[in-house]
Amino acid sequence: MNYMELLGALAPEAIVVLTALVALAVDLLVLRQAPQNARQVVAVSITAVGILAAIIALSVAAPSPPWMDGLLINHSTTAFLKQTLLVLALVAGILSIQSRFTQHTGEYVTLLLLSTVGMMLLVSSDNLLLMFVALELTSLPLYVLTAFNKESPSSSEASLKYFLIGSLSAACLLFGISLLYGLSGGITWTQLATTLRAGSEPIVYLALILTLIGFAFKVAAAPFHLWAPDVYQGAPTPVAAFIASGSKIASFYMFARIFMAALPGTAGSAAWSGATPGWVPLVAALAVVSMILGNVAAIAQRSVKRLLAYSAIGHAGYALLAILSNTEQGMGSLLYYVVTYAVTAMGAFAVVNVIERDVQAPNGESLTDFAGLSRRSPLLSLCLLVFVLSLAGIPPLAGFFGKFYIFIATAQSGTSQGLIWLVMLAIGTSAISLYYYLQILKQVYVVESVGQPTPVQLRPAESACIVAMACTVLILGCAPNWLINRFSPNSTEVRRAGVITKPSTTLELAAEIHPRITAPLGTATGLVQKRPQFETTTANAQ
Amino acid sequence: MEHDAVQHAVQSGSKIQDLAWLVLFLPLLGSVMAWFITRRDRVLTTVFTLGTVILSFILSVTLFAVFGAASAECTPFQFLHIGDLKVDIGLHLDALSTLMLLVVTGVASLVMIFSTSYMHDDASYSRFFCTLGLFVFSMLGIVLANNFVMMFVFWELVGVSSYLLIGFWFERPAAGDAAKKAFLSNRLGDFGFILGILMVWSAVGSVNFQEIQASLIKNPAAMGVWAGLAGLLVFMGAMGKSAQFPLHVWLPDAMEGPTPVSALIHAATMVAAGVYMLCRVFFIYTVPAGWPPALSFLGDLSAATVVAWIGGITALLAALTAVQQNDIKRILAYSTLSQLGYMVMAVGLGASTGNPSASMFHLFTHAFFKAMLFLGAGSVIHACHHEQDIWRMGGLWKKMPVTFWTFAIGTAALAGLPPFSGFYSKDEILATALEANPILCGLAVLVACLTTFYMCRLVLVAFFGTTRTESAEHAHESPRSMTIPLMFLAVPSVVAGWFPVGEFIAGHFGVRSHEGVGRVVAQEGIGPMLTMILGGIDHALFAPFNHNALAAFLGLFGVLLGGSAAWALYWNQARDPLPGLFTNLSRAMRKKFYFDEIYDSVFIPIHDTVACIMAWFDRWIIDGLGVRGIHGTIEIVGRALRLVQTGNLQTYAFLFAAGVAFLAFIALQ
Amino acid sequence: MTPLHYYLIFAALLFSVGLAGALMRRNAILVLIGIELMLNAANLNFIAFWRYSPTANELVGLMFVLFSIGIAAAEAAVGLAIIISIYRHHRSTQLQHVDRLKG
Repeated sequence: MNYMELLGALAPEAIVVLTALVALAVDLLVLRQAPQNARQVVAVSITAVGILAAIIALSVAAPSPPWMDGLLINHSTTAFLKQTLLVLALVAGILSIQSRFTQHTGEYVTLLLLSTVGMMLLVSSDNLLLMFVALELTSLPLYVLTAFNKESPSSSEASLKYFLIGSLSAACLLFGISLLYGLSGGITWTQLATTLRAGSEPIVYLALILTLIGFAFKVAAAPFHLWAPDVYQGAPTPVAAFIASGSKIASFYMFARIFMAALPGTAGSAAWSGATPGWVPLVAALAVVSMILGNVAAIAQRSVKRLLAYSAIGHAGYALLAILSNTEQGMGSLLYYVVTYAVTAMGAFAVVNVIERDVQAPNGESLTDFAGLSRRSPLLSLCLLVFVLSLAGIPPLAGFFGKFYIFIATAQSGTSQGLIWLVMLAIGTSAISLYYYLQILKQVYVVESVGQPTPVQLRPAESACIVAMACTVLILGCAPNWLINRFSPNSTEVRRAGVITKPSTTLELAAEIHPRITAPLGTATGLVQKRPQFETTTANAQ
Repeated sequence: MEHDAVQHAVQSGSKIQDLAWLVLFLPLLGSVMAWFITRRDRVLTTVFTLGTVILSFILSVTLFAVFGAASAECTPFQFLHIGDLKVDIGLHLDALSTLMLLVVTGVASLVMIFSTSYMHDDASYSRFFCTLGLFVFSMLGIVLANNFVMMFVFWELVGVSSYLLIGFWFERPAAGDAAKKAFLSNRLGDFGFILGILMVWSAVGSVNFQEIQASLIKNPAAMGVWAGLAGLLVFMGAMGKSAQFPLHVWLPDAMEGPTPVSALIHAATMVAAGVYMLCRVFFIYTVPAGWPPALSFLGDLSAATVVAWIGGITALLAALTAVQQNDIKRILAYSTLSQLGYMVMAVGLGASTGNPSASMFHLFTHAFFKAMLFLGAGSVIHACHHEQDIWRMGGLWKKMPVTFWTFAIGTAALAGLPPFSGFYSKDEILATALEANPILCGLAVLVACLTTFYMCRLVLVAFFGTTRTESAEHAHESPRSMTIPLMFLAVPSVVAGWFPVGEFIAGHFGVRSHEGVGRVVAQEGIGPMLTMILGGIDHALFAPFNHNALAAFLGLFGVLLGGSAAWALYWNQARDPLPGLFTNLSRAMRKKFYFDEIYDSVFIPIHDTVACIMAWFDRWIIDGLGVRGIHGTIEIVGRALRLVQTGNLQTYAFLFAAGVAFLAFIALQ
Repeated sequence: MTPLHYYLIFAALLFSVGLAGALMRRNAILVLIGIELMLNAANLNFIAFWRYSPTANELVGLMFVLFSIGIAAAEAAVGLAIIISIYRHHRSTQLQHVDRLKG
């Protein structure tokens, strides 16, 4: 293995980094004096070209074996997730054209892209070190982006809250990781999976809790959600949209990977009768609190962005169900759910962004600003209807099948329907959630706007994005199999890559992600005791 | 032993049954095209939406003629394959679905024709027709679905389109609220429905109706301890859609929508979806009762018994309430509730006799005469310049003869007067009840009596007597496009009962009919049936008396009692001097029966009190405590949770630490 | 050689001190310092585990510490920048003054 190979494996990430630097350089060196609008258009165009290149690079890249003793992996699922992340980043970029929250277009786009690179690495990372670095690379630009509206006190306040709670949980995560390292003697998933077992030492639980906190913060699961409403409300809307969508996908995927693939021995059970300790009951506790708190607190909200934040907390609860089912099906349902949720949330925020620009209220938008939207822009309100109904889980939109698939996966995973209580709770809370979603629709379709309804100003690129996302939500709901097959290990692409098909247990799933574990040299002891490959590889590189 | 042509079609793979795909998608196609292309043009919109629905109807007739009671599967396509869960979108044709196809497309066509003039002056004419097309599409989806998941998807689509139609005049706050109420109560039912589906799936391992039925026939105990709970949860879905107690609150309010919508959705089709679904999944109600350990005290109580009782209670409550209503549409709404209760009761009782065909029969006849009654009410409202209070009408029978006569036929059918269709279907329900549960049978007779009472009251007050207001004075017959559908519907309202529909359906449930006709249809198709019917129509007319004379006489007794009571009371109150002949007759009747004192002094006050209490109960306990109470609690908790989010970072940090402690507690427990 | 658990207990204490500081201090900068202490406690863990592991020549723990020191520096830089921006708006870095967003 040499650096060229590494560069080849990381080509998409490298392209995005280069794009970020080019966008920054062009903006600072060439367009300093140009009008703000032109700078934004140029920066977003450069971004679009770079992102397109990266997407193409991802689609032609061959699946590769894990690099450097399990540092990072690339296969069809990670490639698809990265493409989704790139598209979401591009949409976030397009949404910020013509917004007035910053003069520093170059820096804005650069930070957006760097955060995207962090997410891409997070999706690919296969050990604790790269995971932590990627997580921080994702978070740090997002902290700065949240504070990007320097005129607004809310923006910097949101950023401070995001940053302090984020660092606190990152510190907990790092401490947890250090304990995991100490307990297992390694930092790759394989090493963790082969050594850690539940019930051996209490310190294992401490490590699990601390690790869990780090991810619970990233996915805004209650009770580590407190930053989310404030950040969604205070941050510039395109940034909030990106936090709600892209960051969610990457974090949830890593959340599921680390617990399912690296810590299967410490799972435990959350069955109603006969629960055993481990991370599954912990995740179940988070899921229960999130589902109830998110959906109930959303009812009393007056700002749509805050409402979406609380609904995001509720949705995080449903997604956690998929993680705690701890099966291959759970993983598939999780990915379907977070991808469709990300598109939906991005769409909803895009509509909020338009409204916010339209009302220009000093304190941001509120629910009443949506009154009579159906008269002012039928297209926009139709798209909002699609997004909101999908969030509420009404078939045939994507949100319904996401939930349905998760419920199926969860109900099936427990022995003798032990987890059905969680499914019942989830269905109950989603019935509650309909109430506040209908509040939005009531404003849009029933309540009259104050004064003469004026048409909403929509830019072509923006409306194209919104319509495309609404169509995606509808199509993914009508043909869920298309997306589900992409995540299924049985899909043809994975088979072509020579990965073992049809893993039935979690350990086998771990093996699927690490083909090496089934290779003849990879006996359990050999993995831990093996002579450092690191030195030999660097020697090769030199 | 199936009909030769059918067998040939099924085996040769010529797949004539794939026409069902066309039946399903034509209305959607029409709506979408109309919405995107011809929205500005009323005529073209009408052509697209109405034309496709009529085409659907013609195709449905073809399918019915070809298949009759034979069952056939359409070419499915793969929709969702997740692990063990395989959901293929496929359509299933059999006695139930072909019959229901006829009802839905037929009534929908007539209602849409009616609407062309009723909605003529509405600014959102095109939106109305497109939404109606969407509704027909979703309803056909429910009818044709061959699995639970697909049915649920269309179930929700029906909910959405009915939300759009009830809230059609969204500028009225009441319409918006009614739409929301309907949607929320339906969702409450759907919550149970999807849980029930999950439960059936995890117990039996399939969501396909045929497969579930096959495995339940092979092993009736396959559902084990989940049988009772799954049955009740699935029934919750029907409770929402078919407005059964205590989720019935939305239906009367849903009358805020345009009257044709009430006719189509809230009388003929959507509300029938619940009953149809119960018949479709009837096999999960015939398995031995079982409860999980926590509910083992329920013992042998089967889900079907609960279903029957809820149906009976709904029927009674609604009938009692209808007596005290003055709004013409509300009276009809409550009567719909009451009739739906009948049908649900028949399904529940059918579980013990193995034959729920009576409920489908009643659904079939009810769809025609109730749609006609609603359209008739629409015609009256249209003529009286949107006046809905029956006490502000009067004497309309001369001014609107077509409307009056069709309305009278509808009333007779609803009341269950022979030889109108309602008599035959109601008789089957009474016969089933008599066989299965005499108490419920008594209740059903009481309801039949009340039904006649309030319907006669409606007709006597609105159509007879003096014209009491200006708007009623100027009323005149509605245009041709409104009266023609009424006349079209009047025909099946009279004759639908003469056909052996009950036995036709019974064949589907594997019950050998006591008559020859049904079996012939079920086994040999539609052609021989026609000859049989033409030859034996006089025989069919008296079938109820031959079959179960006691039930038939009980039903007749109820009708006469209710009718004469209404006559005695409301004829006088109208104080109409014109038809003196009838006054004398009524006085004669009162003397004959000697019931006037009882009615005036005892029965009516009690009756009024009970009706008032019911209305109060409905408004404050069910609606107030039940719906608003839960809602209020959640809202208060939501507000309380806002207080937790103080905005102060130190509070957040403290809660963060509390969260850590909470996790540690869970972990160490 | 000092036993491993001495280091672990010390790291745990350091972590707790940092956590207590982060939770109880009212000044944003002091909270940041508390978080830095927590990160360093984790670093200490890594070094101790690495030193006592049978595969010490793989340098895994040491690598981790180098990276996490770098990240902690970046984090501090971002944090201080955000605190400056807060100071510009509120003329204070006290956390209790920053509670405009709530509910």
